[in-house]
Amino acid sequence: MSSNIYIMKNEVREQRRLRSLSQVELASELGVSRQTIIAIESGKYSPSLPLAFRIARIFDMPVDKLFDPELEAEA
Amino acid sequence: MTRTNGSRLITPVIVTLAGSIVAGAIAVGHTWGDALVAEIVTLVLAVGYYLVTRSNSDLGAIYGHRADERQREVLLRATRLAFTVMLGAAFLCTVISVALGDNYWQADLIGSLGGVVYIVGMVGYGAHETNGAVVERGIAASSVPPVDERDLDSPEND
Repeated sequence: MSSNIYIMKNEVREQRRLRSLSQVELASELGVSRQTIIAIESGKYSPSLPLAFRIARIFDMPVDKLFDPELEAEA
Repeated sequence: MTRTNGSRLITPVIVTLAGSIVAGAIAVGHTWGDALVAEIVTLVLAVGYYLVTRSNSDLGAIYGHRADERQREVLLRATRLAFTVMLGAAFLCTVISVALGDNYWQADLIGSLGGVVYIVGMVGYGAHETNGAVVERGIAASSVPPVDERDLDSPEND
């Protein structure tokens, strides 16, 4: 059985900077830690669906525009 | 994330209680001097844990009971690693104790209990289809009604 490995790219950092929000402010708005925002922006952590939707709501844009799952490799 | 200072005290209080119980056992089975040393070590550890819970870090959030979904996943992975190591250590201790002709029930009990709870956990969590690490404030999967098999043949699923 083969499984695909996806790397979730996102525009969270760009959108946050566009709105002049700091990582702390965004974290506070979302109710998560600043470390989690850093991990999401650097692509090291893919947020859960509820969190992804909350981020998209804050930036007022669709989730699939904010997060883009790119096929990295097949295992 | 917005927890009261009280949640930061949970881990230090648990450490203090557990350490005091051990110190009490030492007082019964050994000397009062040894028990006093154990109690002092316990209090130092509890203060250390309290300082960690105040820190702005993953460890601080986890020990301070204010972890977000990523930090809960970190906790889950760390717990899994610790369990694996402890189970391996219990197995090793059992083998060595048996080979030396010593009592081995303690290590055997720890290993067996861990193994049984592991299986019970897999069956229980699997049946409820929940993911403790990432379920946040959404609807728990266990509250979702079972899939009607007729839906699986529906053209809407193509």
